[in-house]
Amino acid sequence: MNQYNTYVLAVEDDRQIRNYICYLLNTEGFRYTAASTGEGALSILVSEPIDLMLLDLGLPDIDGMEVIRKVREWSDMPIIVISARDQDKEKAAALDLGADDYLTKPFSATELFARIRVVLRYLYKQNSGSKVQSSLQVGGLQIDLDKRLLYVDGSETHVTPMEYNLLALFFKNIGKVLTTKQILKEIWGIGYGSDTQALRALMAGLRRKIEKNPAKPRYILTEIGVGYRLVDE
Amino acid sequence: MLKSITKSIIESVMARFLTTHAKQNAVEAREKEAGTKILYTLTNHLTDAADIHDIAGIATNAISKMLNSNVGCLWFDTNGKPEQTFIQQVSPQKRIHRKIPDVDALLHRIEGLKTDYDIGTEFYDWPIYGRETTLGLIRVPKETAKAMSESQTRMLHAMIESTALAMDRFRAMQQRIKFNEEIAQERFRGNLLRSISHDLRTPLSGIIGTSEMLLNMTAKDDLRYPLMAGIHKDANWLHSLVENILSLTRLQDGKLVLNKQEEAAEEVVGAAIRHISRHYPEHEIAVHVPDELLLVPMDAKLIRQVLINLLDNAVKHTTLQDEISVSVTKDVERNYAVFSVRDSGEGIVASELPNIFQMFYTSRVKHSDAQPGIGLGLPICDAVVKAHGGRITAHNRTDGPGVELIFTLPLEVKDHESI
Repeated sequence: MNQYNTYVLAVEDDRQIRNYICYLLNTEGFRYTAASTGEGALSILVSEPIDLMLLDLGLPDIDGMEVIRKVREWSDMPIIVISARDQDKEKAAALDLGADDYLTKPFSATELFARIRVVLRYLYKQNSGSKVQSSLQVGGLQIDLDKRLLYVDGSETHVTPMEYNLLALFFKNIGKVLTTKQILKEIWGIGYGSDTQALRALMAGLRRKIEKNPAKPRYILTEIGVGYRLVDE
Repeated sequence: MLKSITKSIIESVMARFLTTHAKQNAVEAREKEAGTKILYTLTNHLTDAADIHDIAGIATNAISKMLNSNVGCLWFDTNGKPEQTFIQQVSPQKRIHRKIPDVDALLHRIEGLKTDYDIGTEFYDWPIYGRETTLGLIRVPKETAKAMSESQTRMLHAMIESTALAMDRFRAMQQRIKFNEEIAQERFRGNLLRSISHDLRTPLSGIIGTSEMLLNMTAKDDLRYPLMAGIHKDANWLHSLVENILSLTRLQDGKLVLNKQEEAAEEVVGAAIRHISRHYPEHEIAVHVPDELLLVPMDAKLIRQVLINLLDNAVKHTTLQDEISVSVTKDVERNYAVFSVRDSGEGIVASELPNIFQMFYTSRVKHSDAQPGIGLGLPICDAVVKAHGGRITAHNRTDGPGVELIFTLPLEVKDHESI
């Protein structure tokens, strides 16, 4: 697999982890380069045709957030942030700032490639200008975006219009994390930005219709402190 | 005639009386003025005092001057015990230290005191009463004490009062300094642990990732495979230990900051199970949550850590055949969310039950294949749950083998609750 000849920049100050990421990228046939500082990353970004960036948030020189902000001034390239477990606030902030997804250290090869696969899928779909499919499927869930219908394990399942909107939003972002803030804005619109309880209630209702056990969800996973993610199968 | 004589007598008596009264008033006014001046000077000096010794010296000096005598002062330490020696004024510029023959007897007399002062062989002792404890004694020589006028006694009381205030103020300041030092030390220790843990985490992530990568490159029947698997497993264990220490330092950081929000109980339970299932994919965990969404005010990350620790504990004490289950229920009566983690493992020896939430306590029953533990998991659960205003308990199941760990979280945050 040559991964569409994708050119990846890995920004990570810890040498061991940088080597690990580079090794993994190499085994999967990516072209890659690496930087250990924010300034180093920015100078590569302006001089080389980078397609995708893996960005550690805890850099020694400039804040990872600052790197995202700068890059977003001129590029929509996918950015996957890498952070430690107790940086949930930073993670959510980075995502709201325009990062596409995140990884928590320690992460496995499987997790890294799952994230890369998802962001690349959207990148190339966007670039090829292909239309959004009207019928999408994840496991036993199938959604018909034209007719606004939902099938769970083959049988049509009734959901409320709000629940449908929520699920449709996830189907447009399969495998990608959506922050609470992003979801609230999409479903309720600007101005309802802080009513997370309404979202929790809506999610609980939806889960009771699509999941066998809402506390062991198969489809929509909770990312504590960040948001939700529809699994990518 | 008689009338006029009587009148003149009355008038002269009246006049005499009035003059004496005026004179007396003048004397009292002078005394009062002098007293005010003495008190003012004393208070002024006391504010400059550097320590208790200084305060005692200033008080002794001022009172001696006022009574024209050689007054002494004995002060008590912070535990309310008298020092072995007291100071006594011997000349306007000189004070000496003198031993007290029987401190305990003196203390006993002072504690049982029903009058203003205690009558000793050499001194009359006036206690210096602070806000909470007795701070010391002012010792007035017997002869002086016996001859004291009413106004001198009043003055003595006022001066002792001023001394008590100064001593109290100094003690309070001392205590505040000590308290602040302790907090600073605690914070320093917490921060140190925190930064060490942070520094450990990054290389551990590298070791976990790299060893996993090596595992994937190695055939399962390769002799090197179990060695690499060992590295991977231990690194994972160290990593979870570091995560636990980080939660703990957050809790003991002097200023405990819980990031409390209304969270869906099922989501936090789900996240904990997902974490455990990643590490122990072969263990099946049953979950029961209420049909109705249960929103619980909590710091979701910390409660997830609690659930992870409890589940991790359950997995370690069971075999693959044993059942592990998590349930959440609502205690309507007491307005609690009740979380329960049960296993059907070997249970806990009854004598160990009270100790399992203690820091660094590990079960003395060793498991041949168990990870070494330093017993941080359950104490962290205890600390986190308590910080939320809840309770955690453990008991052996009565409906079969195994342990049940239950913790509660209040559903309503009290208005006056400050965290």
